[in-house]
Amino acid sequence: MAADSRVSEITAPRVNLRKSSLFRQSLRRLLHNKLAVAGFAVVLFMFVLCFIGPFFSPYTDNKINMAMMNKAPNLQHWLGTDALGRDILTRVMQAGRISLTVGLASMVLSVFLGALLGAVAGYYGGLLDQIIMRIADLLMTIPSLPLLFIFGALLSEWKIKADYRMYIVMLMLSMVNWPGLARMVRGQMLSLREREFMQAAVVLGLRDRRKLFGHLLPNIVPLLIVMATLNIGGAILSESVLSFFGLGVMPPTPTWGNMIDAANNILDFQERPWLWIPPGLSIFATVIAINIFGDGLRDVLDPKQKR
Amino acid sequence: MRKSTLLLSSLLIAGSLLLSACSENGNTDAASTDTPANTAATADPGAAAGGTEAPAAPAVVPAGALSEPFTATDLTKLPAVAQKRTDTIIVGLTDPSGAFTPYFQESGYDGNVSSLLYASLVTVDDKGVPTPELAESWEVSADQLTYTFHLRKDLKFSDGSPLTADDVAFTWTIQYDKAYDGGSSLPSLKVKGGEAYKAGTAESIDGIKVIDPQTISVTLEQPNATALVTLGSNVLSKAYYGKDYKFGQLEYIKKLHEKPLGDGPYKLEKFIPGQEVRLVANENYFKGKPKTEHFIYKTTTGDAWQFLETGEVDYASFPATEENIGKLKELGYVNILPYTPSTYGYMQVNLKHEQLKDKRVRQAIAYGLDRQSIYVDAAEGAGAVANIPASPISWSYTEEGINPYKYDPDQANKLLDEAGWSVGAGGIREKDGKPLSIHYLASKSKNSDIFIAVAKENFAALGIDFQPEIFADFNSLVSKTESGDYDLVSYSTSMLTDPADGFMQFFDGEITDYENPKFVELYNKALATTDIEQRKAVYKELYQLFNDELPIIFTNYKKTVYAYNGRIQNLSVSPFIGLAGSLPNWTLK
Amino acid sequence: MSTYLTKRMLYMLIILFAASLLIFCLYALTPGDFITGNIKLTAERKAELREIYGLNKPVLERYGTWMNNAFHGDFGYSLAQQKPVLQLFGDYIWNSFLLAAVSTFLTWLIAVIIGVISAYKQYSWFDTLVMIAIFAAMSLPSFFIGLFLIKILAVDLKWLPPGGMMTTGSNATGFAYFKEVVHHMTLPVIVMTLLGLGSLTRYFRSNMIDVLKQDYIRTARAKGLKERKVLFTHALRNALLPAITLVGFELPALFGGSIIIEQIFNWPGIGQLYMKSFGLRDYPLLMGFTMFLAILTVIGTLLSDILYRVADPRVRL
Repeated sequence: MAADSRVSEITAPRVNLRKSSLFRQSLRRLLHNKLAVAGFAVVLFMFVLCFIGPFFSPYTDNKINMAMMNKAPNLQHWLGTDALGRDILTRVMQAGRISLTVGLASMVLSVFLGALLGAVAGYYGGLLDQIIMRIADLLMTIPSLPLLFIFGALLSEWKIKADYRMYIVMLMLSMVNWPGLARMVRGQMLSLREREFMQAAVVLGLRDRRKLFGHLLPNIVPLLIVMATLNIGGAILSESVLSFFGLGVMPPTPTWGNMIDAANNILDFQERPWLWIPPGLSIFATVIAINIFGDGLRDVLDPKQKR
Repeated sequence: MRKSTLLLSSLLIAGSLLLSACSENGNTDAASTDTPANTAATADPGAAAGGTEAPAAPAVVPAGALSEPFTATDLTKLPAVAQKRTDTIIVGLTDPSGAFTPYFQESGYDGNVSSLLYASLVTVDDKGVPTPELAESWEVSADQLTYTFHLRKDLKFSDGSPLTADDVAFTWTIQYDKAYDGGSSLPSLKVKGGEAYKAGTAESIDGIKVIDPQTISVTLEQPNATALVTLGSNVLSKAYYGKDYKFGQLEYIKKLHEKPLGDGPYKLEKFIPGQEVRLVANENYFKGKPKTEHFIYKTTTGDAWQFLETGEVDYASFPATEENIGKLKELGYVNILPYTPSTYGYMQVNLKHEQLKDKRVRQAIAYGLDRQSIYVDAAEGAGAVANIPASPISWSYTEEGINPYKYDPDQANKLLDEAGWSVGAGGIREKDGKPLSIHYLASKSKNSDIFIAVAKENFAALGIDFQPEIFADFNSLVSKTESGDYDLVSYSTSMLTDPADGFMQFFDGEITDYENPKFVELYNKALATTDIEQRKAVYKELYQLFNDELPIIFTNYKKTVYAYNGRIQNLSVSPFIGLAGSLPNWTLK
Repeated sequence: MSTYLTKRMLYMLIILFAASLLIFCLYALTPGDFITGNIKLTAERKAELREIYGLNKPVLERYGTWMNNAFHGDFGYSLAQQKPVLQLFGDYIWNSFLLAAVSTFLTWLIAVIIGVISAYKQYSWFDTLVMIAIFAAMSLPSFFIGLFLIKILAVDLKWLPPGGMMTTGSNATGFAYFKEVVHHMTLPVIVMTLLGLGSLTRYFRSNMIDVLKQDYIRTARAKGLKERKVLFTHALRNALLPAITLVGFELPALFGGSIIIEQIFNWPGIGQLYMKSFGLRDYPLLMGFTMFLAILTVIGTLLSDILYRVADPRVRL
């Protein structure tokens, strides 16, 4: 089995040297994967576009122009204007700043929390496992709707500025959302624990930390990457839900999610596709690029892959 | 992870449901036409019964691009489904829940249904003047305390049993029961002896007297201009609803909600939860059996367009945007009626806050907000700017001596300067070291988004720090308002019938900090008489006072269009009772 | 195993108890109550009504009353709808279940098929195309997909009805009724299946890719077994096993309803009812429904743990 060779790799002396060459080797393999490189390039492009693009726009994202309401794409406004005559292109770029930050941050946060708790529960088992998993059970029964309202009321009470609220809420949501992922990771851990290479690790008398981080975690990384990249799109879209509950960014600040939402009726959908195609396409491009890159990364990092 | 993401995004649409909830909760005795946020989804044929004597009300005010009713141009375009219906009319209704007993229902949508199942003693005509319905005539005593109703002869409930004064007495009495939990406004009329009955110290209500099977009188403790219509509402059968009645126990009525026994033009055939309310013509209706045998309220929560376009419903209402009207005309098979609901939008001002106690600051906000852009231009014509607490379709409406507060940032800046707020560091005005900051609350909607976008620019130009906050549903907005932590909050009134209703928020406890003896004096003066010309004059004075004082800042009127199957004949809309009045006469061509 | 089960049952009860308290407090803490939204009432009448409904009492006391009644099988009357909560569940839940059951079945079926094929033909054009389609479905909100299909299939082509569960005014029974419902549920089922497909397909694909690299597959091929047999008997079974644990998680989703889909397609389901009740703060209904889902969630978790053990006997529970 591939995993066996890995055990010997790590138990061999001159670990550091081996590791760095392994890293270089992985990087080389990643760069060889044209698709993954392209994915990374698109993500990078989206970042550059969103963070630098607005400086080159003649418009500001919130400038209202009633004379230019709902105009189709034209020479002045390359992607048209919205119901208040604001330039869609500028808004899409501005929106990307928030959406990308939020999407990535919330993804990283819940994956980190879920993976950590799931791994600990699965690895140590016993009382710790019971406590973590029963808390997870409890959290899974809690309806998110009243929770969001209560968050909203609390943050409003504490007079936290609307624009910062989102980050706090993202944090709180990850706190509530980890159980699903944790359960999955725990399941993987349970079955990995029984594999031959782990028995070998036990026989070799490796320390817990080494077993956990050196042997078990690398084996669930592929799963984590798939889960994480899959959820970016969802996270970007759910930001608009938070805005809806007064927990996200306050209008007129745009995000991709609430730009799409603004076209939530059959008339806008039909008559003014320029309202929803640009933000929709941005999310699509970002999501697919991150996933392709994630796939490439997965292939490189997966210890089960042949090297 | 998948579950949580899905759940979260599913909450999004949910929000629009929450918004429409505000109109569901507010009404019990009759349906409301306070259109929910997604107007397109709802038809509100029923409307609050109410109002007092009124002279010729102005005609229905033109809405948006449509000033005249539009007649279908090509009925052959009508979808086959609708073509096939010969004795059935289908109207969409957001969410009837199945509690069809008047006075006991919590949802205005159930009110729409029960307004067809039950007739009332008194109704109002197109001009808001009370007219006879089940009661042939009535008298009001000189002191305006005693009302005597004379019922028509041979009135019957839909099962053929007779309707008499005893039923009316029973209907009024149970609303004074201590277990009565509905939202009827009858208990607030203060019927003589009502409190004693509620306390359990009297067997019956003193003020209610059955004189003979056709005659009943009721005495109030104090005069009230809206009493006639409130008293003259629906009648419940004592034999049916009162069979198991014992003082303090009303639980049994809940079991009867889904099996209503009424006296209206239609009776319930079948209720399919979440789908349909099927009604069938009542042969015992006192005006004669309605012309169309079947009438169906179809639960429609989605976009009304899809149902009108496929012929699944015969009637729907839409915001009167130019685009909507254009598209409706294009359909060819619908008649279109323009309509302005009798409501107005306003911003409640927190008068506890020092900065807003100054009239000049309130006026500066009115001048400084580009209401024309927010409510007319951005709404594509489906709205108008309001400046007084009355709808343009009310007989009391006037523009005489009313300041229109046209958008004028210079005037606004001047007023703020006069009020002692001078521009400080960062362009924000200050007074005594305190920055001028406005904390604004609104419930989430497309309109709030527009408002905030425009207001942000407007307030920046005035040197006011603008802090908007959005609430996902009506309940949380109201409870934030109740906490007092706000400067401005956007609301819309529910359906107004009597001009006095336009000042309701100052009396039912919502706005408690506006103390102006002149206002109270004028308000009472307007209610003390039933003479329309006199009342009109008093209201004009009141409106001028409010327009200058701005204890609330007026924002907008809504404009709607009703679109209906061109085959339907005899459909008309009353500003006060909506479609309910003409509905029994609808026929299919 | 049986001691394990007894222990788990005990935990379940404790969790449900804790959950009920937590959920009750959450609803009670949500800003505004059933009376707040009714702006037509005077302050006195509001106080009177709060008295009648017991809303002026401390949260714990209200919780005690609710719990006590619930133990006696009495979940109360919906405040807004004036009907017993259980009757309302009966009216709405099965409609939601119908949609969810059919679309879940289809989702799993299609996800397995596509997952297997794209894993087997990893990096082929089929694999790439499927991946793009999946991401497209995941980057647009579901209401868009719903609106799009209604526009095309219902309004323009008139092949399918735009919403509802049956033709308005129809008195069809028996097979005719069945046909009518199938006709009406086609659109929402398509959308729900599309939405669920994405992550599940990716999950199966990645499981399948893992399994195909295992030694026993190589052995099977070396033995000269037919490729189809290798794929569907050996590989698929092993790729599906871990997915069995997901079945338990679907349980609450089957009965929970889908708010967006039900609204767009005008489907008389429990999701919509819950949403409206939340807007009104209809506590008895909210509490009853959430507890119902909590019970299903807890049972579902237990189920998936047990299935996990069945699927992989090496795992100690």
